Amino acid sequence: MDKTNNDTAGHKSRYWKSVGQYSQNADASEAKAREFMQGVTEDFSPDDMSGISRKQFLALLSASAAFAAAGCTNYRDKGEIVPYNKKPEEVTLGKANYYASTCAGCEHACGILIKTREGRPIKIDGNPDHPVNQGKICAKGQASILNLYDPERLKEPQQKFSGMGFGKTTWKTADTAVVAALRSAVHNKKEIAVITHTIGSPTTKKVLNDFCAAYPGAKVYSYEVFTNDVRRKAWKHSTGTDTFPLIAWDKAKLILTLEADILGSDGNYIEQTRLFAQNRDAANPRSFSRLYAAEAGMTLTGMNADHRLRVRPDAQIELVLSLINEIVVNRKTSRFANDAALAAVVNGYSIGSFAKKYSLSENTLKCLADDLVAHTGEAIVYAGSTLPENVHTAVNLLNEALENSALYRKDQSAVSHIEHAAREEWEALIAGLNSGAVGAVIHFDANPVFHLAPEYGYADALKKVPSVALVESQNETSSLCTFVLPIHHAFESWNDFHTRTGIFSLQQPVINPLYDTRQKEAALLVWTAGNTDAYTDTIYHGYLKSRWQQEVHPAMNTAADFSAFWYASLENGVVGFTEPSASFAAAGAAVSIGTNQNGASDSFIVMLHDNYYIGDGRFANNGWLQEMTHPASKIVWDNYAAIAPATAKALGVKNYDLIELSGHGMKCLLPVYEQAGMAERVVAVALGYGRTVAGTVGTGVGVDAQKLLTKAGGVSPWLYADFSVSKGNGTYELVSTQEQHSLDDSFVKDLHFKREIIREGTLAEYEEHPGFIQDERHKPTTITKSVVYEGVKWAMSIDLNKCTGCGVCTASCNVENNIPVVGKDQVRRGRDMAWIRIDRYFSGTPEEPTVSVQPMLCQHCDNAPCENVCPVVATSHSPDGLNQMAYNRCVGTRYCSNNCPFKVRRFNFYDFRDQFADGIQQEAPLNMMHNPEVTVRSRGVMEKCTFCIQRIMEARQTAIMENRPLKGSDVTTACQQACPAQAIVFGDMNDKDSAVSQAIANDLGYSVLEELNVRPNVTYRARLKNV
Amino acid sequence: MSTSAIDYTIDHPAVAGTPSAASIDEVIAAPIDSKPSKGWWIGLAITGSMLGVGILSISWLFYKGTGVWGVNQPVGWGFDIVNFVFWVGIGHAGTLISAILFLLRQKWRTGIARFAEAMTIFAVMCALIFPLIHTGRPWLAAVYLFPYPNQHGLWVNFTSPLLWDVFAVSTYFTVSFVFWYIGLIPDFAMLRDRATTKFKKIAYSIFSLGWRHSNRHWQHYEKAYLILAGFSTPLVLSVHTIVSFDFAVSVIPGWHTTIFPPYFVAGAVFSGFAMVQNVLIVTRKYFNLEHIITINHLENMNKVIVLTGSIVGYAYAMEFFIAWYSGNPLEQFVFLNRALGPYAWAYWTMVTCNVVFPQLFWIKKVRTNIIGMFIIGVFVNVGMWFERFVIVVTSLSRDFLPSSWGHYVPTAVDFGVFIGSIGLFFTLVLLFVRVLPVVSMSEIKAVLPGAQPSRH
Repeated sequence: MDKTNNDTAGHKSRYWKSVGQYSQNADASEAKAREFMQGVTEDFSPDDMSGISRKQFLALLSASAAFAAAGCTNYRDKGEIVPYNKKPEEVTLGKANYYASTCAGCEHACGILIKTREGRPIKIDGNPDHPVNQGKICAKGQASILNLYDPERLKEPQQKFSGMGFGKTTWKTADTAVVAALRSAVHNKKEIAVITHTIGSPTTKKVLNDFCAAYPGAKVYSYEVFTNDVRRKAWKHSTGTDTFPLIAWDKAKLILTLEADILGSDGNYIEQTRLFAQNRDAANPRSFSRLYAAEAGMTLTGMNADHRLRVRPDAQIELVLSLINEIVVNRKTSRFANDAALAAVVNGYSIGSFAKKYSLSENTLKCLADDLVAHTGEAIVYAGSTLPENVHTAVNLLNEALENSALYRKDQSAVSHIEHAAREEWEALIAGLNSGAVGAVIHFDANPVFHLAPEYGYADALKKVPSVALVESQNETSSLCTFVLPIHHAFESWNDFHTRTGIFSLQQPVINPLYDTRQKEAALLVWTAGNTDAYTDTIYHGYLKSRWQQEVHPAMNTAADFSAFWYASLENGVVGFTEPSASFAAAGAAVSIGTNQNGASDSFIVMLHDNYYIGDGRFANNGWLQEMTHPASKIVWDNYAAIAPATAKALGVKNYDLIELSGHGMKCLLPVYEQAGMAERVVAVALGYGRTVAGTVGTGVGVDAQKLLTKAGGVSPWLYADFSVSKGNGTYELVSTQEQHSLDDSFVKDLHFKREIIREGTLAEYEEHPGFIQDERHKPTTITKSVVYEGVKWAMSIDLNKCTGCGVCTASCNVENNIPVVGKDQVRRGRDMAWIRIDRYFSGTPEEPTVSVQPMLCQHCDNAPCENVCPVVATSHSPDGLNQMAYNRCVGTRYCSNNCPFKVRRFNFYDFRDQFADGIQQEAPLNMMHNPEVTVRSRGVMEKCTFCIQRIMEARQTAIMENRPLKGSDVTTACQQACPAQAIVFGDMNDKDSAVSQAIANDLGYSVLEELNVRPNVTYRARLKNV
Repeated sequence: MSTSAIDYTIDHPAVAGTPSAASIDEVIAAPIDSKPSKGWWIGLAITGSMLGVGILSISWLFYKGTGVWGVNQPVGWGFDIVNFVFWVGIGHAGTLISAILFLLRQKWRTGIARFAEAMTIFAVMCALIFPLIHTGRPWLAAVYLFPYPNQHGLWVNFTSPLLWDVFAVSTYFTVSFVFWYIGLIPDFAMLRDRATTKFKKIAYSIFSLGWRHSNRHWQHYEKAYLILAGFSTPLVLSVHTIVSFDFAVSVIPGWHTTIFPPYFVAGAVFSGFAMVQNVLIVTRKYFNLEHIITINHLENMNKVIVLTGSIVGYAYAMEFFIAWYSGNPLEQFVFLNRALGPYAWAYWTMVTCNVVFPQLFWIKKVRTNIIGMFIIGVFVNVGMWFERFVIVVTSLSRDFLPSSWGHYVPTAVDFGVFIGSIGLFFTLVLLFVRVLPVVSMSEIKAVLPGAQPSRH
């Protein structure tokens, strides 16, 4: 540099910057040569540096450090800090541990895998080794983590003091009082009632047996709001055996469901969805199943049906008898063809008159009959658990006639430990409570005050006897009890479950009890012993282990000693063993099928059905589950009376008007939702809502329709034809995550097809011309050079043939990504936060709609319109094809969201954790629930699906440590992991052999809004209807 | 002038009658010299209260978060951006009058230029509130939106129209302010010379920057004024063009439109003139300035209003035509949705106010009738506010996927902030009329009959 400058200065330059330069003044030349100040020239010269030597520098440095340290000795915070030097053996900071356990959210007892970080459970997924749920778990199971950390769990035993409400007490006081009450009951020859939900654990059953042995007169009453009891009774009626078969849905080519929501709430839908979806794979068109759904309400099963028949629940019997008449009598199929008795029963029923009576398409019914006959032995007719016994009996006969018993599963059958108490038993119990014949009541994690038909008068009767409730948090029943004793959450408990033949599923605690709680079995053990000092932390653990040592281990015929066997079992969470499943006798023909329940097609029928997300109300205080959208109506935080639009018109009501159901001296006001596809004059109401003692979140959500239940039941325990339905006064706003558009509105009708958001076809079309979707696709051309992605490029593909719209992906995503609950008022304002939502579109008519669903999440567009409009570059593209959000950079202009064609971005309009329900989400210990790998977003920040970047990073770190390249298959996103239908594929699209590349290249593959050339990295595979 | 042919070479006099230079000073300085009247105090109380409502609303907004507004998914922008575009638009009349009409040597501008310029400044101040407060984290936005060098190597995104806005609007404010201030200097000196109290003397002395009315000062002043007029002229076009880019550059149907820049500029001038006309009608009446701000001035403004109103009407029609002609069903849907969808009432309010009523200005009787023009001016302002509402809200509420459609309902806080911005604007106007000459005293003298050499 100096040289050049000297050269320039050397001859007379034509341009000059100063007089000094012109006159070649030496100072000016030098100043110019050193354009920069001394010390910052590009040429480093040690001579120009300060005179201080290295030694001096180091001396000064250490001196200042020493002085600084000395000055800081008076550090004010004297709080004791403890280094993590005694770390538990299995815990490595920053590394997750997984423990196999069993979910206790419902009676199915699926195997789960609990992810813990630094000793805190943070995520639940299915246990892949569990043969029933095979690595998948439902929304309730996913979200049950919130129940563990629910700030409103009881923290210590509570005693009711007369006139003063509940106050703290100790276990010792409670135990003493309970034991005294129990002994006094025994002494006075009074009954002791133990009320429980379904018992799925043989060890719990043993505890109960021991208890009953210690206290003669103790009796166990078990119940469930929705049961298979009718199905079981009918099976016994048909075949004489107790255990009805499970269905091999994966072998069924043809399925006819009768008010049976097999993909939603009838049975273990996680298992059923998996088996069903296996046969909805376009790769195997030959084994593609066909689903007919005959139902009154719009259920997940109906939404996914190839043919949906609107049939009132009281007309189902006519449908089955008509089919029997058509198939067995008219077409002379099966060994019953010449059974005169049967012919007499079904005489007068025909599919023609049935179609006419209920204005259905006779052609569809004919096709159905043809299909049933054509698929003899590989079809199944399945009646819903809420239907009356005669439908089940008739269905058993029809299946027998069509040789469909081939689809009854022989590998497994359900196991029942304690029969549900019958109506007469309940009546006797309540009479006993009233008369004083019952001396004490123990509620074994049950809520009969809320669940039992009000006709029983349980709540009033309960007040007359000393009672105790073993519960996690206060509920309607416990609030009436003398002692309320807090119990462990399932994640703090030990147990074993045996709900299927050949399978033991173990439950093990993954965290120390957060509060002064006991496992409910342990409480019973203490009372059984009658010694209040009998309690130890391991009392039930020891009991369970000794039962396994004495009973289970010897029966296993294993070479391993007990200890090895026990730890291996705990590690796997599940033990398979040989156990014969129930054998199924053939249904006889000459069964009497009561035919007196023919519905009058003009009367109203009220159908009480199970809800999808909050169970029998036990998950009411779980905001995540309350905020799950109903698959058909997209309504959150409420139940409602779903009625057909035509019925609404006839009643003179519209959406959100109240209607009144009255009968049996009960009245119930419910908001109306006009559900397209409902059968006319049917009112469908979900139970489980309207809790009155359920905590801040759950109290008062929805309407308690439980009170419509009666002891005797109507058409069935859940179907009532004798309610009068009329317009009520006033309105009540229901809130949904999607606008409700009338199907009659030609302006917005079928826009999802017109805009090619949803692409669909039929199986026949596909078989004839597999490329029909590709022919329709837009192929945008571009004049700009596309970015070339080298290495891994992330992409997702969702198979709409498999996706049922159940929403488990959303639940899993919520937990994985610390997504807040926003509450009903914020959803009403359009501020739901779910990163993956299930879009639901109706087409067709309000009477006969067809439904399409589509999970919608950030599409991670290559040409992302959100990225270029962000003024502060808070959202940008990663070299592996992700559309990223930098939360700390985001200032919240919301421009990115405005410019997103898919509207998948979510904005923190408030600090939602502070804003919702008096800031309950900020309360301890809910903070412990957060996934530590995912930032908790503050107010004013935009967020969205990240493709589970934290999982990608973890996989990348592992790959680096193992010194190998990162593979697409190393990463599983939370939604993918949770999807029970396995509709989601994720991976590296640059790897041509990967599943995701093949899915993208699939004939049915397409992207949404391709004409915009935003180039989404999420592709969908078009749904095929097997019509 | 014969009845058969109008002689367009004859200018209307810029000032009615032949007032003396002294009387002009008297009448223009009257509000400054005298004590404020009761009416002024009542006015200030009202606008001050509105401003107070705005301050409370913004405080609540900062305390709780953006959620206190009605914005949601999918309508991420609501009153915030509507108000922003509205106020920026209002400002345009001032710059057009002071800069473009100055360059075009339109003498009639002198009576209204000062006021219009002041309104530009105030309107842009109102507008500038919104880009900041509309963000989720204003305390960071105030820093991150500017390209300051930092150790993180973080930079702003130059492809984002919002960033262009930051530059466009801040440049606009700066230039307008300097232009206005330069124009005020001779008048400040005049007020300094007239001052009777010590406080006024000191204040006006400082602001007049030592102006002595010397020939040399005037020479420099005229040059500077001309240069700044030249500077400001492109800004009239650029600011609203860039504001329109916020929408035009996006992919949202109803926003993604090439017609937006000229359409926005015309709309801005349209609404700005209506606002200036409205405020001037009150001011000239109240301060007896009818001979200085004459009916001719107002009529000329009304002519601009009818012209720009027609351009806006043409743009509305053209949007529909292009939506149909493009054959793009998404585009077609958006425009049908505007006219027939859930926000049809807003659309038809806009059309009635912006397209139908201003057309009455073709009738001379209407455009010279004070009451008539005032009412139409109000309609134009309402209509132009709704135009921004229609563009921002209806386009977002129903975009590509029907599943994500939503409805935007403003909240009390939305209205509070809007009322606050109106309060701020009129509070500033009221303060302005008391402390500064609403008409340029020096310029008016230059357009008096006989003040300039003429061919006669």
